[in-house]
Amino acid sequence: MENSSSSLLAIKIDFAQSHIFFPTIIVWTLVILFALILIFYGIPYLRSYLSGERTLNLSLEHIDKIRLLGTLIVTVLYFILMDEVGTFFPNMGYGFLFVSIPFIFLISILYVHDINRKKLITITLNAIIAPSLAWFLLAKMFSITLP
Amino acid sequence: MFKLMVKKGAFLAAGLMILSASNALASDSVIKGNLRIVIGSKSTGGDTYQNSSIVANALAKKLGINVKVDAVGSSAGFKAVDRAGVKGNTIMIFHDQAYLGYLYGKKGYFDIFNKYIIGPSIAINPGNAYLVPKNSPYQTAEDIINACGNGTKVRVAIQPGGVSEIGYTALKNAVSIIYPGKEKNLVAVNTGSQSMKNQLLFDGQADVINGSVQANEQYTRLPEEDQKAMRFVWLTARKNTINQAPKAGMGATSRDQLLKFVDPITNVPLDKTTNFTFDKEFFFLYNKGLDPKIIAEIDNALTEIFASGEIQKTQKKSFFIPDFMPSKEAEVYFKDKMERYKIIINSMQ
Amino acid sequence: MEFLTDLSMMYFLLIPIGVIIGIFFGAIPGMTATMAVAVCLPLTYSLNLNEGLALLLGLYVGGISGGLVPAILLNIPGTPSSITTTFDGYPMTQNNQGAIALKTAITASLFGGILSAVILFLFAPILADVAIKFSYIEKFLIIFLALTVIASLSTNLLAGIFSGVLGVLISLIGVYSIDVGGNGEFRFVPGILEYYLETGFSLLPVLIGLFGLGAILKEAEKGTKEEDTSQKVNLSNQQKFSMKIFKGQFTNLTRSGLIGTFVGMLPGVGGSAASVLSYTQAKNFSKEPKKFGTGAPQGVIASEAANNGLTGGALIPLLSLGIPGDSTTAVLIGAFTLQGIQVGPLFIGENLGTWNTMILGLLLANIVMFITMFYAIKYIAKVVTVPKYILYPIIIMMCVVGSYAINYGNMFDVWTLLIFGIFAYLGGKIGIEMAPFIIGFILGKSAEIYFVKALESFGTFEIFFTKSPIAMFLWVLIIISVGYSIYSALKGKKIKKAIENK
Repeated sequence: MENSSSSLLAIKIDFAQSHIFFPTIIVWTLVILFALILIFYGIPYLRSYLSGERTLNLSLEHIDKIRLLGTLIVTVLYFILMDEVGTFFPNMGYGFLFVSIPFIFLISILYVHDINRKKLITITLNAIIAPSLAWFLLAKMFSITLP
Repeated sequence: MFKLMVKKGAFLAAGLMILSASNALASDSVIKGNLRIVIGSKSTGGDTYQNSSIVANALAKKLGINVKVDAVGSSAGFKAVDRAGVKGNTIMIFHDQAYLGYLYGKKGYFDIFNKYIIGPSIAINPGNAYLVPKNSPYQTAEDIINACGNGTKVRVAIQPGGVSEIGYTALKNAVSIIYPGKEKNLVAVNTGSQSMKNQLLFDGQADVINGSVQANEQYTRLPEEDQKAMRFVWLTARKNTINQAPKAGMGATSRDQLLKFVDPITNVPLDKTTNFTFDKEFFFLYNKGLDPKIIAEIDNALTEIFASGEIQKTQKKSFFIPDFMPSKEAEVYFKDKMERYKIIINSMQ
Repeated sequence: MEFLTDLSMMYFLLIPIGVIIGIFFGAIPGMTATMAVAVCLPLTYSLNLNEGLALLLGLYVGGISGGLVPAILLNIPGTPSSITTTFDGYPMTQNNQGAIALKTAITASLFGGILSAVILFLFAPILADVAIKFSYIEKFLIIFLALTVIASLSTNLLAGIFSGVLGVLISLIGVYSIDVGGNGEFRFVPGILEYYLETGFSLLPVLIGLFGLGAILKEAEKGTKEEDTSQKVNLSNQQKFSMKIFKGQFTNLTRSGLIGTFVGMLPGVGGSAASVLSYTQAKNFSKEPKKFGTGAPQGVIASEAANNGLTGGALIPLLSLGIPGDSTTAVLIGAFTLQGIQVGPLFIGENLGTWNTMILGLLLANIVMFITMFYAIKYIAKVVTVPKYILYPIIIMMCVVGSYAINYGNMFDVWTLLIFGIFAYLGGKIGIEMAPFIIGFILGKSAEIYFVKALESFGTFEIFFTKSPIAMFLWVLIIISVGYSIYSALKGKKIKKAIENK
């Protein structure tokens, strides 16, 4: 210990502060990498943009807004409601079961194209069967805790 | 084809739902629905899970309900009881760590006596131990204390902030009593799992490690030239606790051999007159708002379970010492226990 | 063969049952082998030790193998250790070679599994003594080696490394856990979020958020159009699988199986590192590294031979030190304690019968896995014909179940799924690379522990170079790995330039 303590590579870590030692190194590495990215890609990109070679395409036209936003909204509602409904039936997994059925139905309706009677029946049946089967196998047979 | 499968599935699913819904309402217990026991450990291979499973199985049979043990860990466990514990479907089983974590000032721990109702105690794990390499110069815990007193630095590998640290704190306290001012010679090497503690001993980065009779007994039977060979120097349990263990002990180490590492043969002074001892005990924790009827129901069920004497056999087979106290009694007992350890933890920090 | 007389019919029945349930868990995105073993653990109460082990070993092997199915067909790693299977498996599916990829993968799995079981049987106690030579320092270097692999998996070197380090950073969020020897203090967590982020983000929800939900959001953006039926994977028209695909792959198979076994036997290094290391080794040693990532069977072979090699490897420290080698064996140890059996350095000698039973179980489980999957593939491969509007909501639902169940019931893990789904969707647009990111995330926490603990114990950086011959050898590997990535990045640029100049 004594001979190495004078060396350049010596380091003493205080246990009470040890939680920030490694994170600090990582943050600095990230900063350096980010700077490198700016130098190698950011500046050339900016230059070509300023010289008019490239134009910034910020249009959102190619995005299917209904499907994308719909997915996000329905999913958020799904998570919130599953938890809430679940509190009424503690540890039974009914929150998961009862909320998954409308969730699957809504997402299917959102994603399907050219809907017809046949597709609607498939979607409805799937929305009922898939969660029920998952709930029965996992919550019931394997007693996995579900919301 | 696909459609046919879908249809068949629908009937199956509907049938299953009716079946299970009728099952759930069949029991006449005060606890409605499934009982979930969250435990303070994330491991399904550890003593908390094992103990909780034994009790959960017995409770499920007695009360005629589904009981499930979930190894969620301490902070998730406390949160689950806070949030869903009022209805009595989510309760917790943990051990002395629940208040030791608070005494050591760790994040995610608080005064459990304020925040929860203490439920019945169920068992003791008598195995909390301290070990040295087989070729270590320290034969006993007294040797370690004396070495510190004579100015030798002794490194003890522990997991900080709880049951693993309490024995280290006690050793430090003992050094300070016999050799005042020398306690800084006993240093903690903070680490995590049993595997990491063992590894530190193999690497020569620790002189003493915290371990357990269950996990380390086989290592004590290896020949001295094996790098992995270890030797017990101290078990923190009370003599009375070890005396209740099966006569055969653990593995090839008999109860009589284990007793040699326990007070009064092994001395780690707590103060001028008494030796330090520590039993790792498992108990229930309930949400503060829990219906007293449910508390009584679990108390009664456990009283009957322990009266019939079957569960004790299972516990002893797994090297646990049965230790049932109904909730009222347990609350007073653990409060007192915490006050005792508070003194030395505070004085050593 | 005396021990065979003790085995019941039940034993031989429970292995296939375990394997099939395991495959089922592994194949569902979001469910893992660990979960399969954990949920079935209480069942072993009613069985004797041999029977309980038969069930659990079946689950273990089945679960690890089942992970290849969604990896190959849906680009979602069913278990963390099948991440690298997606790299070439999914492109093969896109090239209408899904069934071939699946069969290649299970054959490689069988090979890796058997190889590791044989190594376990023959060398367990010796290897355990090797494993304990790996202290904090050597373990850190192995993780560091696996991290350098990020470079060779990146499309853009700089962006890839940035993503990897970002993954490490995200993995550090939460407390420096006292369970691993930290001081229990928070990092990177604003006060109001401390309640939720105490244990940080869990691996599984992050993984399936990135690869499952993230992919679905990207599809939603594009309008979830069904592929043209004529373009659609034509199952009857597929090439036939033949063992020829393994021609010249024996070295790859053996090397990958050995890497898997070796990484598996080091406690605390983590199973996912095994397939990552073996995948990149296969790529680096290959004559045509450019093919990797575009549907090269070699990639699938390397990944799958390694993650099944892990099974036998992880049992080495469990059975000869009493210490689990990975997360699944950590659950498996419960089966022993529940039966009151001590595992430790004397386990094998004192329980020869159980030991033989376990090896037999492991071998049988691998064989049963192969047969079951081989014949089931016909049906499994049809998953890709299920319309998206039916398949996607089911995938999201199963991801939710898996996330919620991974820590035995925690709603925050479900939100983690969503956070990282959105992260993958947005991050992909600004050039964050998901494969390096997830590898950084997986390895970040252990890298920290071993790095900081090594410095705490030794007080100097020098120790990483001078600790042992093993450490020096690992440095050589690290230098080769880094050098190779830089070399191929430069070469890639040259080729690109040459093409541009034409």
